[in-house]
Amino acid sequence: MKRTLSAGVVVLALTVAGCGSATRPASTPTESAGAAGAASKLVVWDWKSGEPYAASYIEKAKADFAKKHPNVTVEFVPQPFEQYYTLLGAAMQTKTGPDVMLFNGGGQIRDRADSLLPLDEYVAEDKSRLAGWEAFAKDGKTYGAPVTLQGHPIYYNKALYEKAGITAPATTWDEFLANCDKLKKATGAACFALGNKEGIGPQFWLSGMGSGVLTPAEYDDWIAGKRDWKSPHVKKIFEMFKETGDKKLNNEGANSTAMFTDIFSVFNTGKAAHIIGLMSDIGHWKDFGEFIGPDKVGIMLAPVVTEGATPSLPYDGGIGYAVAKWTKDPKAAADLVRSLTTTDALSSFSAEAGAIASDTTISAPQDAPVVGEIVAQLKAGKPALHVAMDSKTIDLMGRLSQKLLSGSATVDEAVEELAASDQEN
Amino acid sequence: MPTRNTSPMVRPGASGRAVEGGDKRERARHGAARRRGRSERFAPYVLIAPAVLIIVALRLYPLVLGVNFSFTGDGEANGTAVGFANYLELLDDPLFQTALANVGLLVLLLPVAVAIPGLLATFIYLKVPGHRFFRSVYFFPAVLSPVIVGAIFNLMLAFDGPLNEFLGAVGLGPVDWLGDPGVAKFAVVGVQIWATFGMALVVFLAGFATLDSSLLDAARVDGASLRQSIWHVIIPSLSQTIQFVFVTTMIGMLTSMFGLLYVMTSGGPEGSTYLPEYYIWIQQGQMNRPALASAASTVLFLIMLVVGLLQISVLRRAGRED
Repeated sequence: MKRTLSAGVVVLALTVAGCGSATRPASTPTESAGAAGAASKLVVWDWKSGEPYAASYIEKAKADFAKKHPNVTVEFVPQPFEQYYTLLGAAMQTKTGPDVMLFNGGGQIRDRADSLLPLDEYVAEDKSRLAGWEAFAKDGKTYGAPVTLQGHPIYYNKALYEKAGITAPATTWDEFLANCDKLKKATGAACFALGNKEGIGPQFWLSGMGSGVLTPAEYDDWIAGKRDWKSPHVKKIFEMFKETGDKKLNNEGANSTAMFTDIFSVFNTGKAAHIIGLMSDIGHWKDFGEFIGPDKVGIMLAPVVTEGATPSLPYDGGIGYAVAKWTKDPKAAADLVRSLTTTDALSSFSAEAGAIASDTTISAPQDAPVVGEIVAQLKAGKPALHVAMDSKTIDLMGRLSQKLLSGSATVDEAVEELAASDQEN
Repeated sequence: MPTRNTSPMVRPGASGRAVEGGDKRERARHGAARRRGRSERFAPYVLIAPAVLIIVALRLYPLVLGVNFSFTGDGEANGTAVGFANYLELLDDPLFQTALANVGLLVLLLPVAVAIPGLLATFIYLKVPGHRFFRSVYFFPAVLSPVIVGAIFNLMLAFDGPLNEFLGAVGLGPVDWLGDPGVAKFAVVGVQIWATFGMALVVFLAGFATLDSSLLDAARVDGASLRQSIWHVIIPSLSQTIQFVFVTTMIGMLTSMFGLLYVMTSGGPEGSTYLPEYYIWIQQGQMNRPALASAASTVLFLIMLVVGLLQISVLRRAGRED
């Protein structure tokens, strides 16, 4: 009993002690100690530099950087991606983290922008050469330089289309649904390969289909942060998502199929005719081409639902390097970021990693015809809708999408909850 | 005695010297005793100092920091005191509520998790045919890491996996084991029990080793059925073992299911398989809300404290009964 009491007292004391007092204040101004000439070291964190396909990219970047700062050594520390943001978060909390670090564009970098150095004055020269800056910007300031572009083309299996006697992809939603019927009857394949175990499905859906549903003005407003959740067009996107579940257009067990391991194999083995995939890293033209043949992979734009909508390829900066606020030598760190985004380094990365690089002046790998189609769409492309949302709302959207598919939530309820979360954050 | 015959002149001196010498010795003895007394008094503190220092520096101090941190803000409010805001947000978050409700579910399922190894150990003790084989087979999953177990059952329980194929073959519809919120949490708990019951089984077998077999023989002679033997002989004799298994299984379920959740469901579908641990990880790692995660950790710590204290008091009461 005595021990119970004393333990209780300890807890109480801890609770009381915690009230009011706080940890040290957020940001301490970093002094720029190491001038360009002084010997110093920059530490880079990422999840790519350890991969064999990134070896020549890193080498070229290092060589370029050594020319500008011969006295600064650079250490690349590859971290496992699954734990990357956990480790990074802990490092940022103690302000002892790396000087330069890799980020996914969108929420991941924006949520941490208060720990990052604005790069605008350093990267001005690169602005027109590279695409995808918006994903690394917040409130008009740029916090990262894009390495790859990430987007969500709707891929289709040309072999299945041929079998079903479909000559060209649909341009309207009704036509698309009719094609799905034909495909099912002729080949037995599901219309969509959807892996929604982690709740990532609706992100791809929203961005993949959005440009066919929202009017151009609504689309631009959405990206600018003026998201009108009351618009019937926004609701329509989620209704269409639910429709794929209700009409059994998806592969079976979508809510228990993992996106990044299992669902791509559903498309690769011809069990589904369409998949909203990626452009870089994984689940893209190169992966699909290896299984169904590079010439059998096609991309289509979102089918039009709303009159006046102009379908476009949704894409953003995929991954990019940023500089920590606490770095001792911001100029050197920013120069390293620039070295990591030179045309020479990026063309290596694009060719070997199978990525669409951010550099608009390099030509895409020629062995896959669909890459040409993707690159041709870049000019008219727009930022993806889901990238503009904060990670909490994205997480909520994942859970709600599972409810939409299982029927335990209505579209109205889902949109209402999303609107509340989006406006709060 | 020769000293008796010595002159009185000498005696006092001699005795005086003796007394003097005795005084010195006495003083020395006293001094030594005092020193010994002092060092004896300090010895226990010195001996426990390493353990105390380790606990204070590596356990209590971080705990205080963590609790303190939970009263500060995230993002732009990083480092500023926000009072109980994080705790209020937790209470409001349906996801955290689900996580807590799932802790309740685990407590409710605890008897099942204890009964399964208990029953199987009983059968092994009663030497059912093949008991040696079963003893090792039952223990086997306990040596697998949760990630491997999760990966195995991911394949087994996939929508187009072998279990659903089997169900289809016997004419039952497929079950979306990991995609249906009503099913998934039981599927994960079931896998957790499968993966960990081997350890509890070993504890039960150790308990059986202390069981007085003459009691069972007597019950058998009196014509007790298997059920009666278990209920009236085995369970009362093993009460302490059973309580021990209860405590360790509870702690295991509350603290070591993260790997399974991570691999099997990612907290889904619809957030139905969240546990506080997973919630903490998501908030810290994915949502960049370390202070909120600290608040959730503090709540989990308090829950564990209450559960642990309850269990200790139950164990102590049981100890007194013996």
